[in-house]
Order: sequence, then C-alpha cells, then structure tokens
Amino acid sequence: MKKTKIYLGLALVAIAGIILVAADHIDAPSSMGTSADIADFYAFEPTTGSDNTVFIVDLQSSVLPDLAYGTFDENVLTEINIDLDGDLVEDKVIQAIPRDGIMYFFGPVNPSQKGLNSQVMTDSPLGSVEISAGTAITTTTTSGVKLFAGPRQDAFYFDFFQFNAVIGGNAPEGFKAPEEAVDTFDGANTMSIVIELPNSMLGTPTAKNALGLDVYKTWVTSNKKQ
Amino acid sequence: MKRSNLIYALTFLVAISLVSCDNDNDNDNQMMPDMSADFSGTYAQVDHMGRPGINTVLSADNATKDMQNVTLPADMAATFQAGFEARLEAYHDVYATLLGADPAAVNYENNILGLTAAQLTGYLAADVLDVAPNLPTTYFNPGTDADMDGRILVPDGDEIGLTGRTIQDDVIDVSLILLFGGMEGDRFSGQDTNDDGVADLPRLTSDGVSITASPTTTFPYLGNPE
Repeated sequence: MKKTKIYLGLALVAIAGIILVAADHIDAPSSMGTSADIADFYAFEPTTGSDNTVFIVDLQSSVLPDLAYGTFDENVLTEINIDLDGDLVEDKVIQAIPRDGIMYFFGPVNPSQKGLNSQVMTDSPLGSVEISAGTAITTTTTSGVKLFAGPRQDAFYFDFFQFNAVIGGNAPEGFKAPEEAVDTFDGANTMSIVIELPNSMLGTPTAKNALGLDVYKTWVTSNKKQ
Repeated sequence: MKRSNLIYALTFLVAISLVSCDNDNDNDNQMMPDMSADFSGTYAQVDHMGRPGINTVLSADNATKDMQNVTLPADMAATFQAGFEARLEAYHDVYATLLGADPAAVNYENNILGLTAAQLTGYLAADVLDVAPNLPTTYFNPGTDADMDGRILVPDGDEIGLTGRTIQDDVIDVSLILLFGGMEGDRFSGQDTNDDGVADLPRLTSDGVSITASPTTTFPYLGNPE
C-alpha cells in the first residue's frame, strides 16, 4: 500500500519535472510559447472609490528564451469576458485585435456567438490605439475609455525555479527564505493590452463571490483565426 | 521556429529604433477605427485564464492543461474539480514522503476560509476572476487582527478579498496559504518544532519573493519594458 503510494509519488515527480511557469505563462502544451499564449490577467479599481475598472491582459513573455515574444499577432483575437449574473456565461465581451501597427478594440457588447468560437464585433467599435514601442502611447475615447497596447514590464513575481524543485520533490525545505528567494520574472517583459473603462459600460452585476460580495465574473481568452 | 523568433526580434528592434525619437506619449487625436481593415472570419479559442496559476498548478497533466484552456467556465467545476482535489492531495503526499511520514496521514486541512478540499478545488476549478466594481480591489487582504486573538490570517471581520487582482497583489502567497496553510494559514511555514535551530516542516505558504517590477499609478499602470 505504502509502496504503491511512493510509486505514485515518483510518477508525480516525473510529471512535475516538466517546466512549469505561472501565472498562466506557458501553461499548456498547445498554447505555450506561441503568440497566443496568455501570460497574465489583472482586473482592478484604479483608485479607491473610482467608478472605472482596469483590465490588463499580458500575452507572451520573455521570461524564458525561445518563447514567442515581441509582436502582436494579427491572427490572434484577445477577448475579455464579463459575466454579470453568475451563470459563468459571458454577458459582455471586450475584444482587441491588431492590424498594421494599430490595436483595435470592440465592445463591451453582448456577443453574437458565445462559447469557443468568436467573430469580431465590428458593429460595436470602441476605439483604437497605436501599438507602442518603449514609451507608452495611450488614447482616451470620447466615452472616457483609455486604451493601450505594447511591450511592458512583466510584473508577475514568483520564485518559479524553486517552485519546480518543490513540486518535483527536490526541495525538502520547501520554498526559500525571503533573503535567498529569487524572482524569476525580474527583468522579463510582456506584450500588454490595457483598457480602463467606466463600470456603467459593463452593467451592474448580480453575481456574488465566495464572501457574498457583488462581483463581475471575468476571464480572458485568446482566439486564433481559422 | 527559432529563426522566426529571431526575425520577430529584429523586426521589434527596428520598430523601437524608428519610434524611439517620437516622444509624444499621449495621443490626443484619437484614431477612428479603420473599417477598411479586414476583421472577417471565425476565431477559435486556444488559451483561457481567470485566476493566476490555477491551470499550471492543479491540472495533473498536459492533456488536462490543454483541455482546461478550451473548456467553457460553466463546465469547468464539473470537469476538473475531482482531478484538482486529487492533485492537491498528491502534493501533500510528496511532502509526506520527503519528510519520512506516512502519505496517508498527511492530508489537506481545511483552510483559513474554512473550505474543505472539495469546496476549495470546486471553487478554483471554475477558473474566473471575481471583480467587485464598487469595492477596493484585493486578491486577499487579511486586514488587521481585529478580534485580537493573535491570528492575523484567520478571518475576523475586517478582511476583504476576492474583489479582483491588482498588479501588486501577492497572488502566489495567497494561493499557497489557501492550499497548504490549514486553518491558521501557517501550517507548513518552516517551523522549528523541536527548537534545535533547524526547520522541521517545509516552507510552503510563501515563495519568499516580493514584487520587483515598478508599476505606476497612472494609465497604463505597467512599467516601461526593460
């Protein structure tokens, strides 16, 4: 019985030996290292009491060599999904897709097609912004929406080499103490899409989180042209 | 593959050198969406992200990781909860084996939110980020020790959480505390149980690193690329 468990443990170690990177950086074989690889997703109130919400989607990352990094792919549609009523089906989507050095945004709109396939909601243009290089170029639309697309610091932080040792069964001591731990993402960059918009454009949520507070249920997807 | 990466990199460098002399970092003349651009076609989902690290840490194998990226959120809990719970228990077994304990005797303990393994993994399996439009954003903030019981991580009324994710939030430590911290949040935190100056339990509730990037307080909030 115990022996079986140990074998299971060893099998797990072998599986876990594959390089793993979080938050969502190269999370799965089909998308990892491609121009459609979602690295991270943030959503927050920009200042206390603000009536705006900020969404940040990081695509690709230079955290490891040989990863796709450096340009947005015109065949990749990025979609921020917002569920208002808690059924985990998107009620609003915000879309972003690049064309010839410009990032175009659409929505927030109730999408014509829900689920795994999407069309660009060209009847609901939101605005566009020139894709930045080193210095941020931003746009504010007449409806008060701020837009950005371009390379940024990868702000995620994690001692991921030690994490691999931990789940690989090679670190009996677990993670390192703060004075020895190293942020693997220090110095990495990512291709970011940032949008700040008034909550009134998204609607009032009736969904609740685990603590009973009113929340949007949000997630991001990347989608490749067929 | 590598070659195309190189070409991307070179294109990127050229783009930087061409644009770097342009110091206009606020594009007041909003570009209207160019509707002559071709946005036609169907885009099929390839990657998904809600909360950071969930697919990476709790999906047991590559096939599951790929499947998670193309599963609708409404179907995720039913599809992945059992596998996530098994994975969570397997992590505990790996450490039991490393520490010379019986894996069957070292199990997940209900966490600071009082969630059982089934509840926690069911909650995490539905991989969406809760975002409260009208509350301060924090992935989890334990607040102060309002009831003065000496336990800052144990909820006592002034904590707030699950309202989104800021750039600064230490999402890895929060996740580790929920997965390995037990009822007090510090179950495996490098304790020296026999006072011999050497840690007897692994450090699993913090990876030891703090943010190294430099987010800004103004849009687009992420620092310039490094």
